[in-house]
Amino acid sequence: MSDKMKNIIDKQQQQQDEPDITNLDDVMQLVGFVVGDEEYTVPILTIQEIIKPIEFTRVPQTPDYVLGVFNLRGSVIPLIDLRMKFGLPAAKQTDEARYIVMKSGDEVAGFVIDRLTEAIRLKKSDIDPAPDTASGEKSIIEGVGKQADRILTILKVDTLLDRDF
Amino acid sequence: MDEFQEILQDFLVESFELIEQLDQDLVELENTPEDLELLNRIFRVAHTVKGASSFLNFDILTRLTHHMEDVLNRARKGELILTPDIMDVVLTSIDMMKAMLHFIRDNGTDQGSDDIEEIVVKLDAITSGGGSSSDAPAPEPEPEPEPVEEEEVDYSDMSENEIEDEIERLLQMRQDEDKARRASKIAAGESVPDAPEIVDEPKKEEPAPAKEEPAPAPEPTPAPTPEPKPTPVAEKKPAPSAKKEVAKAPAKPAASVEQTIRVDVRRLDHLMNLIGELVLGKNRLIKINDDVEERYEGEEFLEELNQVVSIVSLVTTDLQIAVMKTRMLPIGKVFNKFPRMIRDLSRELGKKIELEIGGEETELDKSIVEEIGDPLVHIIRNSCDHGVEPIADRVAKGKSETGTIGLKAYNEGNHIVIEITDDGKGLDADTLKDIAISKNVITEKEADNMGDKEAFTLIFRPGFSTAKTVTNVSGRGVGMDVVKTNIEKLNGIIDIDSEIDAYTKIKLKIPLTLAIIQALLVGVQEEYYAIPLASVLETVRISTDEVYTVENRSVMRLRDEVLPLVHLADIFEVDRVFDGGEHTYVVVLGLAESKIGVIVDTLVGQEEIVIKSMGEYLKGMEGVAGATIRGDGGVTLIVDVAALMQMAKSLKAKPAIAQIDAASKKKEKPSDYHVMIVDDSKTDRSIMKNALKPLGVTLVEAGDGVEALNILKSGEHHFDAMLVDIEMPRMDGYSLAGEIKKYNKYKNLPLIAVTSRTTKADRMRGVEVGMVEYITKPYSPEYLMNVVKRNINLTMEA
Repeated sequence: MSDKMKNIIDKQQQQQDEPDITNLDDVMQLVGFVVGDEEYTVPILTIQEIIKPIEFTRVPQTPDYVLGVFNLRGSVIPLIDLRMKFGLPAAKQTDEARYIVMKSGDEVAGFVIDRLTEAIRLKKSDIDPAPDTASGEKSIIEGVGKQADRILTILKVDTLLDRDF
Repeated sequence: MDEFQEILQDFLVESFELIEQLDQDLVELENTPEDLELLNRIFRVAHTVKGASSFLNFDILTRLTHHMEDVLNRARKGELILTPDIMDVVLTSIDMMKAMLHFIRDNGTDQGSDDIEEIVVKLDAITSGGGSSSDAPAPEPEPEPEPVEEEEVDYSDMSENEIEDEIERLLQMRQDEDKARRASKIAAGESVPDAPEIVDEPKKEEPAPAKEEPAPAPEPTPAPTPEPKPTPVAEKKPAPSAKKEVAKAPAKPAASVEQTIRVDVRRLDHLMNLIGELVLGKNRLIKINDDVEERYEGEEFLEELNQVVSIVSLVTTDLQIAVMKTRMLPIGKVFNKFPRMIRDLSRELGKKIELEIGGEETELDKSIVEEIGDPLVHIIRNSCDHGVEPIADRVAKGKSETGTIGLKAYNEGNHIVIEITDDGKGLDADTLKDIAISKNVITEKEADNMGDKEAFTLIFRPGFSTAKTVTNVSGRGVGMDVVKTNIEKLNGIIDIDSEIDAYTKIKLKIPLTLAIIQALLVGVQEEYYAIPLASVLETVRISTDEVYTVENRSVMRLRDEVLPLVHLADIFEVDRVFDGGEHTYVVVLGLAESKIGVIVDTLVGQEEIVIKSMGEYLKGMEGVAGATIRGDGGVTLIVDVAALMQMAKSLKAKPAIAQIDAASKKKEKPSDYHVMIVDDSKTDRSIMKNALKPLGVTLVEAGDGVEALNILKSGEHHFDAMLVDIEMPRMDGYSLAGEIKKYNKYKNLPLIAVTSRTTKADRMRGVEVGMVEYITKPYSPEYLMNVVKRNINLTMEA
């Protein structure tokens, strides 16, 4: 067994052993990703799947950030560029770019992100609601998670999937 | 309760099926009041509904049908002659019965539905009026419903014992009544079912009507009657087709009736969806097969693969047709209601109108059958009101008093055509134009440009009406607009033809099915779109000189018509980077009554497509009806022809070729000039670079044609010239030049061939693809420098 493997297993073991995160009800699992210079997270349960970029078809009469639609095993799914949605300048896709397919109820859409970071387990008590300035109906921020050395922005998938044009 | 619900459902389905046929029978009956078989059939319907509704405790409905039954019973025994006035009452009561059935379907009870007293009194009047000479059972029905209603009032106050007693009492009463009624019926010469225990043994109620069938025995033609009835008893619900067969050939033994089974429409819909997926899979398979064929030409396994693919594709097509057929209904289902409508209308309008129906056995998809009814109603109402003239006018014109409206359906390819003709006054194109102008529907200029056929289509514009007064029947200018909208929804085409004082003919051309459609794939720049083939009338290739601009809109002349033109790229906001050349393709689209020409860059071909929704997020995007998945796995958008026509109206004509002035930036120093060097040999590139260094221009290198094209497309640099090697991997110099010249903005980009190929043929090819200079290797640095300098008009020194 390679050292790397061993490391990973140790880490997993350690995670499982951590006493205060064993109760699943109190824990939120998040997936982190980078768009532009910022790291964002979404709850893992809102993610249907994550795929490598594939070909898409442009749909006319839509805002810039709606890139078009793509074929996900027979379903036609809209593709949204989070960079442009967040008002960041367009940049070339790198090899690390991915489509995150998120769903909420019957609504499904793919979102282009620059790269994935990691899966994060966070105690619910460590999640604060979005700051007042960023809350409200239309806010795309669901809450802010506190970790030892950093703060995580949790995006509200419902709002991301809402058509706002 | 569930069982009750189930029975109720069955009752409703059966009743609706029965009354569907009823209307037609009744109108027919009016023409041939002596037709005993018809009378019997009608009587049976009333009777069946009565029987079932009394079992289900729909007292009001029972009462109504009971009274209807009385009238009909007298009629079929020849005691009553059905005059049009009596017919009116009977028809009204049937309408009421329908309304009540609808009410029951929606509310589960008939309490609180329309008041039937008035009609009951009228029915009674007929029964007693006509029957005063004979022993009428007329007084009988009255007491029956009353106690039932009474009971309902006291119900809640009663103790259990009292209820028991009450039930006992009611039962007794019911039985007595039935006995009395039976007696009276026997007296009237009719055999009677022995089913008095309606309440006690409900199950027996079903077969009861069957037993009653021999009733008309005393009449001379008893043979046919027993057949139709056993069918519903044995199968409970025969399909309409089966029933019709029985009706047409009543002498046939019941055993040969088609075997049918009732299936929930949702299951068929699901099946259709699955077939849709299969069709897409098939398309994909065919595409992959083609690719494989190309790559492994001559290999043995190809033969086998080919066979499998063709079998799969054949079976899929058959399966698709088979499933489509299960969803098909005869259009007669819709046509059936028109004889009654024509009858009512002609009475109302004081005209004599006859309806001739043809091709009612023509089948089309259930969803379309449901949609087609409304438009037909409006067209026929229109024909009655505006088309057929009043009797006096007709006589004055030397036509027969009776106007004829023809309603005909037939198949034509993948379409069904419904033709509605009337031999009335026809449409006058000039009058139509005048009215349209006075109502501000069109401008005078538009009117001048209109042909007769186009003028006829004016009747479909909202707010347009030729009627001088608004009548009950039509004249609000709404009806034909409804026709247009509904036919559009079905991707249908309306064609209208007319001759003054001779005829008006409206042709509706409707695709057989909506789920899986044939589409024409077209290319616009680098994008592809699918246009439903049902809307494509033809495709033409025209030269750009044939496009004219009238009032800021592009038009072309197609035979004797002026066709508005629109570029698909403008509709879908596609950047026009390629130049279409001198010729262009026009897809002529027709929807409902309008036509439009759509300019596209390429015609790709025909493919079977399945409409898929793009989800909530992209629902209702203008001009896009949905998306489909192509054989190569890519997504192609489906054009919404109706929306496209709408969008085209608001689109201003643009010059067919928009000039993109890319390199207009001012050049101040030699390094503002950009030259691309395309060569697969690094050494050759270095030699060229060194040769051009003294000029001081910016140099960009590319290793082959594909790379060069990508650099060009990325738009990072605006090139003033390109040095192109001919022999290169991936894409050679000739192809590269061809690709580059497709782009509008690179039309004038000087391409300089630098090659060791020196034959005359090579030079000729170079010129053909648009190379301006031809430098043969080896060359002197000075020579290269001068050629470049000349081509980029560089005048300053580095």
